[in-house]
Amino acid sequence: MRGIEGKVVVLGSRGVGKSRLVIRYIKNALHRAEEPTIAVSFFTCNIILDDVKIKLQIWDTAGQERFRAVAPMYYRNANAAILVFDLTQYKTFTEIKSWIQELHRNVQDPMILTLVGNKMDMQSHRAVSRDEAFVFASSIGATYFETSTETDQGLEQVFLSTAMGLVRLADEGKTHSLRSFQSTDSLAYTNGNTAFSYTAAALARNPDSAAFRLPYVHIGIPVDGQDVKTTGEGRLETPSWSIEHIALGEVENPRWCCY
Amino acid sequence: MANRAPMLRIGQQDLKCRQGCGFYGNTQFDGLCSKCFRERNDKQRKRLLIVTEKATEDNNDNIPSGPSSIAERRSPQHLLSLGRGKKQPETSQVESPSTMPKKKSIVPAVLQKTLKGKFPAVTNQQQQQQQQQPQQKRVPTATENQFMLQLRQMRLPDDAKHKLKSEIKRLDHEIRKYMNTNNAKNVDELSDLVQNAYTRFSNVVHNDPRFEMASSEDRDSAIDFFEKVIMTQNHNLLFSPYFTSDEESDVKVQKRIRQLSWITAKHLDCSIDEVNAEARDLVYNAISELVGIDSYYSPQEKLLCTVRCCRHIFELLKRATGGPASADDFLPALIFVVLKANPVRLHSNLNFVNRFTNASRVMSGEGGYYFTNLCSAIAFIENLNGESLSISAEEFDALMSGEQAFSTPWESALLACESLHLISENMKCMELLQKRNSMINTGITDFERELIDFQREVTEKVDTVMAKAPLTLLPIKTPAFLIKQARAHLAQDSVEAAMGHYQSNLLSGALSQHALSPKSKDIALEDAHNLTLKDTSINSVGRLSPLLQNQPQQQDQLFASPIFNYTPFDAVSLLEESSDGDVMMLGTEFQGGLTNINYDFDLSDQSGDNSVADESKLNLDEFDPLVQRPVATATPLLDTTTDSLIDCDVPGTAVLLPSPLKPEVANYRGFSNFDIPSISCNTGDFSSLGQDVNETMETNKK
Repeated sequence: MRGIEGKVVVLGSRGVGKSRLVIRYIKNALHRAEEPTIAVSFFTCNIILDDVKIKLQIWDTAGQERFRAVAPMYYRNANAAILVFDLTQYKTFTEIKSWIQELHRNVQDPMILTLVGNKMDMQSHRAVSRDEAFVFASSIGATYFETSTETDQGLEQVFLSTAMGLVRLADEGKTHSLRSFQSTDSLAYTNGNTAFSYTAAALARNPDSAAFRLPYVHIGIPVDGQDVKTTGEGRLETPSWSIEHIALGEVENPRWCCY
Repeated sequence: MANRAPMLRIGQQDLKCRQGCGFYGNTQFDGLCSKCFRERNDKQRKRLLIVTEKATEDNNDNIPSGPSSIAERRSPQHLLSLGRGKKQPETSQVESPSTMPKKKSIVPAVLQKTLKGKFPAVTNQQQQQQQQQPQQKRVPTATENQFMLQLRQMRLPDDAKHKLKSEIKRLDHEIRKYMNTNNAKNVDELSDLVQNAYTRFSNVVHNDPRFEMASSEDRDSAIDFFEKVIMTQNHNLLFSPYFTSDEESDVKVQKRIRQLSWITAKHLDCSIDEVNAEARDLVYNAISELVGIDSYYSPQEKLLCTVRCCRHIFELLKRATGGPASADDFLPALIFVVLKANPVRLHSNLNFVNRFTNASRVMSGEGGYYFTNLCSAIAFIENLNGESLSISAEEFDALMSGEQAFSTPWESALLACESLHLISENMKCMELLQKRNSMINTGITDFERELIDFQREVTEKVDTVMAKAPLTLLPIKTPAFLIKQARAHLAQDSVEAAMGHYQSNLLSGALSQHALSPKSKDIALEDAHNLTLKDTSINSVGRLSPLLQNQPQQQDQLFASPIFNYTPFDAVSLLEESSDGDVMMLGTEFQGGLTNINYDFDLSDQSGDNSVADESKLNLDEFDPLVQRPVATATPLLDTTTDSLIDCDVPGTAVLLPSPLKPEVANYRGFSNFDIPSISCNTGDFSSLGQDVNETMETNKK
C-alpha cells in the first residue's frame, strides 16, 4: 500500500471552532469514546482511500491577531491548509482573506486549500451567505464546505477532501515536502458508508481523470501545467453537497455542480 | 528540581571571557569569548602544524586546551548529566587535558571495540592506530558503553550494524574535519553537511540490501540511533559553535525576559490562575521540563523534553478551562511559562535542534509541533510590544524600563511570601464557605415559607371540605315507654340513685385530684343533671371537634359516656328525651349515630373552629370539680347514644357498639396537646389528661 504523509495546518480567527472541528472529527472518525485527553492541538489521523494510506498531521494554530506574526512558523512546509471561519460572524470571513494573502506571500509549494464555514447549525444567525463563500473559495482555488461541530455535520468531507488533494499532489510530484512511503500496515480506518467516501475512492482510483480533479492552488512560484492559475471560471469544482443540503432545502447553483 | 536548580546558576564573572576583553565567555571555548578563542586557536594550530607534520587527520590534536580549565569550569550540562547518572563522573575526569581530541577518538573507539573479533581486518587496523597513538588508549566512557549496548540490542543484521557504525564514523570524521579546517566557517554549511549525511543515511537504510531484513520500525530506530550518537558525541562542537552569534542572542533573550518579569497571565489573556497552588505546581512542572531542555545532549531528547513540558501545560489548561484546550489557549500559556522559566541558553538550544536534527523531525510529528510552538513563543517574546499585550505603548515602556512599579501574583509568591499566599488561599476558602452559608440561609427561609404555605393550604382545604359537608346529627329518640319507666324509677329513688351509683363513679376520678367538699359535690351533681338534659336537646352537636373547646359541655357529657354506662345519669337524660315524645327504633338509630361519630371524629380533630358547639355557653366553670376534670371528653353524640344504650341495657351496649370507637378514643389519648378529645376507660387517667386540656381550653378562650 502506498502511503502519503502530509502536514495540514488549521488556520482561522479565534473562537471559530478550529480546535473543535478537529477534535470532533478525530473523535468520530476513530470511534473513540473519550475526547483526546492530553495533546489537543496536534493530531495525526490515517485516512485510507482505496489503496492509498494518507497520514494527516493536523497542526492547530492560535488564531489571535497578536500571534499573526509567528504564524509562518506553523504553515511552513504545510501541504494543506484548512481555513475555518464562523458563518455567524462576517468579520472572521474577512480575516480569512488576509490569511490567504499571507499564505500567498510566504508559501512556495503548492498547497491544498479547504475553506470551511463552521457553525452552520445556527442558521438564524447566519451572516455569510453560501454563495459569497463559494465564490470566494473558487476564486482562491479552495474547496468549500460548511460544517457544524455541534451536530457533527460535514466534518468528514473536509478531511477526506483534504486527503484526496494530498493524494493528487503526491501523484503530480510537484511538492517535495510531502513525504511518501510504502506502508505495510493493514487497514486502520475505513470511512463510513457515505456517498462521499465512495466518490472519494473512485477519485483516488482515477487520479488522472480530469473530470474528477479537485482544485488546488499553486501558491507563489508558478509551476508549468494547465492549471497553474485559477480563475474561478471554467473550472471543475467539487460542490459541497451533502445530505444536509438536501435536508435544508437549499438550491445549489447549477454553475457549481459538476456531477 | 530542587537540587537541580542551584546548579544551573552561573556567576556573572564566570560568564566573562578569561582574557578580560569584557565579552562573555563560553565554557566550550575554555572560558574565552568566541573572538579570543578563535585567535588562540589559530595561533596554536599554526604552531602545531609545524611541530607535527606527519600527523594524520585522526590524531592531529591541534586544539589542546588548558588542563586545569576543564576541571574547574564544567558546563552546567556536565553537572546535570552527572547528577542524573547519565554520565559517570569518570567521563570528564578520564578525559585528559584536551577535550576536543578526546571527543574525536570516542566514536572510533566505540566502533573498534564492538567490531573486535568479528572483523579481524578492522581490528588489525585499529591495533596499528593504537600503536601509533598509545596515549589515547583508555576505557570507553559510560555514554559509549550505553551506545554500544544499544547497538547490540538493536534488531538489525550484523552487517547492517557494521554499516551503521561506519556511517557514524564517517560523519563524525567529516564534522571534525570541517571544524578543524582553517577557512572561515559557516554554521549553515555545517548544518547542510549534517543534514546531507542524514539524508544519505536514510537512503542507505531504506535502500541498502543490508537493511532489507529490517522492519520499518527498526529502520527508524537505526536512523534515530545514528543521529543520537553523532549529536551526543559532537555536542561540544556543534552546540552553539563559536562562529555563530548564538551566545549573544542567548544573553539578549535572557535579559529581555528578565525585563518582562512584570507580565502576568492577564496580559497574555491566558487562563492560568497564578494564585492557585495546584496550578502553580503544574506550571513548575512545565518550567522544570523547559529548563531541563538544556541538560540533554541529543536533539531527540531535547524535543522529548519540550513535548513533556507542553503536556504539562495542556494538563494545566484542562483543569483551568474544564475541557480540552485549543491552540488559542495553549500558545499564551506556553509564552507565560517561558517567561517565568527564563531558560538558559534558549537560543543555542533552539538553533542546535533546528540545525542538526533530522529535518523531518522538526517539520512534522508531535515533537515538531511543540518545538514550533516553542519557537513561536520565543519569537513572540522577542518582538513583543505594548499592543500585543493590550496595554499602551507608554505603559509598556515604563514597565520595561522599571519606572513603573509592578507586582504580580507570581512574583509575590516567588518572593517567599508563602504566608501571604496562604492568606489568599484561605480567603478564597472563606469566600467559598460564605457563599455556601448564604445559600443555606436562603434555603432555610424558602423552606419556612413553603411550610407556612403548605399549612395554610391544608387548613383551607379542610375548611372548605368541612363547609361543604357539615355533619348534623339528630338527637336520638327514646321510646316513650322507656321514658315512662325511667320517670317512675326516678320518682322512686332519685336521691339514692343520684347519690349512690352516680356520685361514686363521678367522684372517684375527681377525688384523686382534688379534695372536694360534699357540698360542692352536690351542687355539681345537681348542675350536671341539668346540663346533660340541656345537651341532649342540642341538635347540632354534629361538629365534633369543639369538644375540647367547650369543656363545660364535655364535662356534662362525661357522665353520659357509653363506656361508663352510668345508668342513673342516663335515666335523667332520658327524662328530657321523653319530653320530646318521639319514639324511634332504638337499634338502627343507635348504630347510625355511632358510625357517624366515628367518621366525624377524625375530621373534626383538625379544625374545631367552626363548630357550633363553640356557641354553647355553659357556666360550669365556677364548679371546681368539674372544671378540673375536663377530660371527660365524650362527644355529645356519644352522650345521646349512651342514653339510648342504657335504655336497652348494659349487655346491649357491648354488642351494639362498633368496635372501632374504643381503640380510636384510646389512641387519641396521648395527643391531648393537639386538642384531640379522648375518652379513657380509666377514670384515674382523667387527672393527668385534665391538666392539658384545661390549659388548651384557657388558651382557646384567650
